[in-house]
Amino acid sequence: MPDILSGLLSGFQVAFDPLNLLFCFAGVFIGTLIGVLPGIGPIGAMSILLPMTFGLSPVSSLIMLAGIYYGAQYGGSTTSILVNIPGEAASIVTCLDGYQMARQGRAGPALGIAAFGSLIGSTFSIIVLMFSVITLARVALKFGPPEYFSLICLSLLISVYLARGSFAKSIIMIILGLLLGCVGIDSVTGIPRFTFGSPSLYDGIGVSQIAMGLFGIAEVFENLEESLSRVVFKTRVKNLLPNLEDWKKSIGPIARGSILGFPLGILPGGGAVLASFLSYALEKRISKNPEKFGTGAIEGVAGPETANNAGAGGAFVPLLALGIPPNAVMALLLGALIVHGVAPGPTFITKHPQVFWGVIASMYVGNIMLLVLNLPLIGLWVKLLKVPYRIMMPLILVFCLIGAYSINNSVVDVLVMVLFGVVGYLLRKSGYDSAPLVLSFILGPLLETTFKQSLIMSDGSFSIFTQRPISAVTLAIAALLLISTAFSYYRKAKADVAFGDGGA
Amino acid sequence: MKTHRLVSCFCWITLSLFVMISSYRMGLGGVHSPGPGLMPFLLGVLLLFPSFYLLAEPLFRKREEEPAGEKAGRGQYRKIGMVLVSLVVFCLLLERLGYMLSMSLFCLALFRIMNNRWRTILIGSALTILITYYGFTFLGLKLPEGIFR
Repeated sequence: MPDILSGLLSGFQVAFDPLNLLFCFAGVFIGTLIGVLPGIGPIGAMSILLPMTFGLSPVSSLIMLAGIYYGAQYGGSTTSILVNIPGEAASIVTCLDGYQMARQGRAGPALGIAAFGSLIGSTFSIIVLMFSVITLARVALKFGPPEYFSLICLSLLISVYLARGSFAKSIIMIILGLLLGCVGIDSVTGIPRFTFGSPSLYDGIGVSQIAMGLFGIAEVFENLEESLSRVVFKTRVKNLLPNLEDWKKSIGPIARGSILGFPLGILPGGGAVLASFLSYALEKRISKNPEKFGTGAIEGVAGPETANNAGAGGAFVPLLALGIPPNAVMALLLGALIVHGVAPGPTFITKHPQVFWGVIASMYVGNIMLLVLNLPLIGLWVKLLKVPYRIMMPLILVFCLIGAYSINNSVVDVLVMVLFGVVGYLLRKSGYDSAPLVLSFILGPLLETTFKQSLIMSDGSFSIFTQRPISAVTLAIAALLLISTAFSYYRKAKADVAFGDGGA
Repeated sequence: MKTHRLVSCFCWITLSLFVMISSYRMGLGGVHSPGPGLMPFLLGVLLLFPSFYLLAEPLFRKREEEPAGEKAGRGQYRKIGMVLVSLVVFCLLLERLGYMLSMSLFCLALFRIMNNRWRTILIGSALTILITYYGFTFLGLKLPEGIFR
């Protein structure tokens, strides 16, 4: 405990450095902006800004990028409540009751409870995050290459299980991401792989180009298919502080959202989105008046908004303690850390205490900034919501182009981004989810390295993965998951065939 | 949807075979010393399974599971095509003409594609170019000068 307190105090010293305060503010401001404006999500924004953080210190870079992530969770609720269009995926359920509250003249309390719930959820998750990372890091010191290999396999499998759409399509995305990770010079033999003789590919494909293409350009193409017209709720937003009755109804969902959201954030493929959906389902399930959900129940806003922020904090645990990102956003953060020469993992806290505690402390500071940004400054966001998409779209593309060019001052990176934009658009049209691809792309090199190291350790014997207890248990869970998914597919297929025969 | 599925399965199977052949040529090595081609070869083999599953899926799933989403009209696809062409042309012109000129053309094209009025097109393009050029130059990014070198 004294170690944690002294670490936190030194972290606040780092966080309160004027430059870091500025980057924290920039991150949460941009995050809120991204959350408010549909058309680009936190991954797209982070990938655009990632190259611009290369010149910063690791702690400043991480403070800003993390700020974008949890800032977007706050901002997403504003547009859900006022426009009935979620600013980002984790705020989809907030539309259900938040917009109805706005229609009843209660936009203020809806926004207020969303902001306070987000603050409480975030604060809870940061406190638990500190203790979890330290504990998990101590356990992870016993991990060797076989354990890491098994854990990465399990992570990828869980992310497939939780991904949207077809299981087979998600597996294809995982494999495609792993294959893209193989492009470049092999670290052991020095032989170029899939470079087609192009020196630009010797260092592999950058994660920024892939993320900007798949989540920036592809999203723009998809949005061009429909005319995104927004009707912003016209009445003045007033009375942002929820009353006593609102607090009475919300305190339970907020508490449950915090406790539910944090562990869901740790799950690979989970994160803020899963947390918000499950929180809504839980609140509706246990409510004495479930019929009120969908008609303006404040519990339907308080619970999910708390859970998504708690989940966003939980997602940092496997990244910082093990160096294994649980979702595509954390994968980008891992990419940023690697570029700065900082490798998260079991020794992260001892080798880079300033970075770890600085980021933790800045999360506290950032959440206070977000409360100010999202309540008193709500008028600013309402004005921004009125900017039509026909003006936003060119700006989004301009930032993507500059972001891609700034990586290496090379047009090749821009072309690669555009190519992935086309690929991402085609994947979306065909029902493929790009998030598992980015996750496996980042984890691919580590998966291959740990696989090869394990084989070298065991002198070529695959039994090393089953002989070591942690690895064996992890692989057993992965196998059970695969079998249960295959079995449920088999049962569904059997039912479909029987249905077809019965209908004939 | 059927065409989408067939085309995508064909692409995955082709990719899988390409990866397997290329990896084999790189050298798979052995279990004692894995070669550079081992991992991609295994991935190529793995890719075949879900690809064939997706291809064969309609044979044993009678009910269509994919939601029948609203298809975009021809006008929207034309817009997407025009934006894509603008992006590629920008890439080709960026280092020849320089940032200011190529981005001007790009912004004019994009604002026009989005059916903005001419006043919005001109003001929007001018502001975008000036703010991004001076803003990013201030942040230390070197943008190509092209013909203004």
